[in-house]
Amino acid sequence: MVMQQGPGRPVPVVFTGTRRELGGLLLRGYLLLLPTIGLYRFWLLTWKRRFYWSNTEIDGDSLEYTGNAMQLLLGFLMALAVFLPFYVVFFYLSTLSTDAAIIGYGGIGVALWFLMGYAIYRARDFRFSRTLWRGIRFDQTGNGWAYALRRFGWSLLMIVTAGLVYPFMAASLWRYRYGHSWYGDLRFGFVGSWKQLAAQYYLTYVAVVIIGAIAAGVGLAMDVVPAGGEFNPLGLVPLGIGALLIALLALRYQARELSRMYSSVRLGSAVVTVTVTGRALFGQYVLCGLALLGAFVLLAIGGFVVLGLVANEAFAGGFDPEIFFRYMQGSLITLIAIIFGYLLILGAFTMMTELFIGLGYWKLIASGASIAGADSLRGVRARSEDKALAGEGLADALNVGAY
Amino acid sequence: MPILGRFHDGRVAEVHGVELHYLAEYETGSLLINAATDHHELARWPAADLYVVPGRRDELRLACSSASAGARVVVQGAENVARIRATLPVLQSKQRREAGRQTRLAVIATLALASVIAAYLYGVPLLANRLVGLVPTDWEQRLGATVATQMEASLGGFQLCDPDPDSLANRAIARFGQAAMAESGSPFAPSINVVRSDIPNAFALPGGQVFFFSALLEQAQFPDEFAGVLAHEIGHVAHRHGMEQLISSAGTGALIGFILGDMTGISLAAGLGSTIIDASFSRDAERQADAFAAAVAQRMDFDPSGLADLLNRVGRDDDFARALALLSTHPLTDDRKAALAELGAQRPDGLEPPFTPTEWRAIRTMCDRTAFNIGQTKTK
Repeated sequence: MVMQQGPGRPVPVVFTGTRRELGGLLLRGYLLLLPTIGLYRFWLLTWKRRFYWSNTEIDGDSLEYTGNAMQLLLGFLMALAVFLPFYVVFFYLSTLSTDAAIIGYGGIGVALWFLMGYAIYRARDFRFSRTLWRGIRFDQTGNGWAYALRRFGWSLLMIVTAGLVYPFMAASLWRYRYGHSWYGDLRFGFVGSWKQLAAQYYLTYVAVVIIGAIAAGVGLAMDVVPAGGEFNPLGLVPLGIGALLIALLALRYQARELSRMYSSVRLGSAVVTVTVTGRALFGQYVLCGLALLGAFVLLAIGGFVVLGLVANEAFAGGFDPEIFFRYMQGSLITLIAIIFGYLLILGAFTMMTELFIGLGYWKLIASGASIAGADSLRGVRARSEDKALAGEGLADALNVGAY
Repeated sequence: MPILGRFHDGRVAEVHGVELHYLAEYETGSLLINAATDHHELARWPAADLYVVPGRRDELRLACSSASAGARVVVQGAENVARIRATLPVLQSKQRREAGRQTRLAVIATLALASVIAAYLYGVPLLANRLVGLVPTDWEQRLGATVATQMEASLGGFQLCDPDPDSLANRAIARFGQAAMAESGSPFAPSINVVRSDIPNAFALPGGQVFFFSALLEQAQFPDEFAGVLAHEIGHVAHRHGMEQLISSAGTGALIGFILGDMTGISLAAGLGSTIIDASFSRDAERQADAFAAAVAQRMDFDPSGLADLLNRVGRDDDFARALALLSTHPLTDDRKAALAELGAQRPDGLEPPFTPTEWRAIRTMCDRTAFNIGQTKTK
C-alpha cells in the first residue's frame, strides 16, 4: 500500500544540511585543488551539489543529484574548443590601435553576453536532468539558442529603456524556463506576470533614483570630488549611507521577486509557495561580511607571522623595506609564501561567500517553500532518458551557475 | 525484525513504505522489498546488482543495476544503515571500487594536465619563435606604434632630447643603428629615440623602435657602454623579441586561464603567473641580445662588456629594481659580464670606433641643454 497524506495539506520543504558539514566538504575540496592543479574543481562541484540536493527534503523524500565529475570535465574541454578562437581574437585585438581594440573588445563582450544566455540555459538543463525525486527525473526541453536570443533582446531593451522594462523581461524569462521544465511526464507551468513585479519594481526604482540623487548631491556639495576645492573625506558619509539604503532596497525587492516568481510556479495541480523576506536576505550578507572580516583578520595575522619568519631581519627593530625587498628578490620561499598567501585569500573569500551567501540563499528559499497539492504528483510517470547532454560546457568556462 | 525503508520504483512517483529482508540463496542472495502494510513483494533485487548512491548523512540510498534507473530504496538512521552494510558487504567493496575509479580519473587528468603544462613551458617559447616569422612586418610596426603610445601615456609623454634628426648626435646614433643591423637580415630599420626620463632604462619595442632614456645616458662613462646597450637593444629588434614575448605571454595566459577555469582571463593570478613564467623566457632573449651586441663588436671597435658595466652601475643605484629582479627581464649577474667579456675577447684589430670623440661628446650632452630649460620652467 501507499503512504497516506492528509488531502490538500501543504507540505513543507526542509533543508537538513549544516554549515559545518559544507565547510568541511569545501575545506577538503580546496586542499585537493592544489595537487590536482585545479582539476579537482569538477569533483568539488559534484560534492557540493550532492550536499545541496540530498539535504533538500520535499514531503519526506530528498532530492538526488545524479551527475558526476567526469561529465563536468568533458563539458569544460568542449567549451575550451569554443573559447580558443575567442582567445586568439582577443590577442590579435590587444595588438591593434586603441580605437580598433576598444571596438573589438566591445564586440567580443556583446558576443560573450549572448553566449552567456545559452550557457545559463544549458547549465540549468544539466542540473534539472540530473535531479531525481521519488525516483523520477526532472528535465528541461526548449532551445538554448532561443533562450539566449530572448535574453539578449530583452537586455537590449533594458539598455534602451534604462531598466524600466525589467518586470516584463523577468516574467518572460521565468515563463520560458518553467514552460520548458518537466517533472517526469508532467510539465511545469508558470502563472506569473509582469503585473506582480511592476508596482514593487517601479517603487524601488524611483526610490533608488531619489536616494542616489540626494546622496550624490549632498556628497558633491561637501566637495567629495575635488572640483576646485579640497577633497573632503566627510563627503563620503552621505555616499555611503546612500549606497547602504540602495542595497537594502535592492535586497527587499529581490526578496519580493523571488517570493512572487517562485510562488507562480505550478506543477500540474501542485502549487509552490515561497516566502523570503528582505530582512533575512540582508542578514545573510551581514553574516557573510562579518565572516569575511574575521577570516581576513586571521589571514593578515598569519601572513605577518609567516613573513616575519621568512624575512625576520627586515622586521628586526622596525620594518626595513630595503632588507625586505632584498629578501623578496633572493628567496624562492618568500615567493612561494606570497603565492600561497594569494591562494589563501582567494580560498577564504570563496569559502565564506559559499558558506554564507550560497548556502544562505538555498536555505532561505528551501525553508521558505511549501507545496500544496503535492499528492497529485504521485501519479507522475518517468520519461525516457535524456542522454544528449555532456556536461555544462560553456557554463563552466564562463563561470555561471553558482550551485 | 525487518528494516524499514522507503521505496521508489523509478517508473511512478509513488512512495512505498517497505520492509527489507535479505534472502540468502547458495553463494549470493537478494534484497526482498516488501510493502510494509500487507507484506506483498514489490521487488526483489539481486545482491550482486546493488550499489550505493551518494546521499546525505545517516541515510543509505540503494539502487540496482538491473532495475529501472531511478528506482531507489532509502533507509534512514545510523543503526539501520549499519545493519544493511553488515548484511551486504558487497556495497562496501563496490563503493571502494568506485572511489578508486574516481581517484584514478583525477590522477590521470592531473598527469595529463601536468604534461600539457610541461609541453607548454618548453613549447611556447619555441612556437613563439617560429610564429614570429609568420607575423607580417607592417602589422608588427603598427603594434609597436600602439605600444609606444601606451607607454608614452603611462609615463606622461616622451620628450626627445634632441628633436633635430640631422644633429651630429642623432646622425651618429642612426648610423650606428644601421651598421649594427646591417648583417642581421632583419626587415626592420631601427629607429632610436633618446628620450628624457628619470628612469635609467632602455628598451626595444616590436617593429624596430628603440628608446634610450636620458637617465641611463647620463650614467654612461664610456662610449663602449652606450654602444653596448644600444647594440643589445638593436639585438632585441633584430630577433623580434618583443613580438615573441607577446605571443608567449598570450600562450601562458591561456594556460593559466585553463588551470583556474577562468577562460575570460581577467583574473589577477593569470597576470601574475604569466609575468613570473615569462621572466624566465626572456632570459634567453637577453642572452641572444648580448650575443648580438658581441657580434656587432666584431665589426666596430667597442668592448661589449661595457653593456654589463652600465647596467650594473644603474642596478646598484636602484634598489627597487633589484628587489623586483625576480620578475625582471634584465638579470644583472656577474656571469653575464664574464660571458660578454669572453665574447668580446677576440676582436679583430684595426676596427673603426662606433663614435668619433666629437660625436660622443655631442651624444653625452644631447640631453643637457633642454634639461636646463625644463629646470627653469619648473621653478617658475
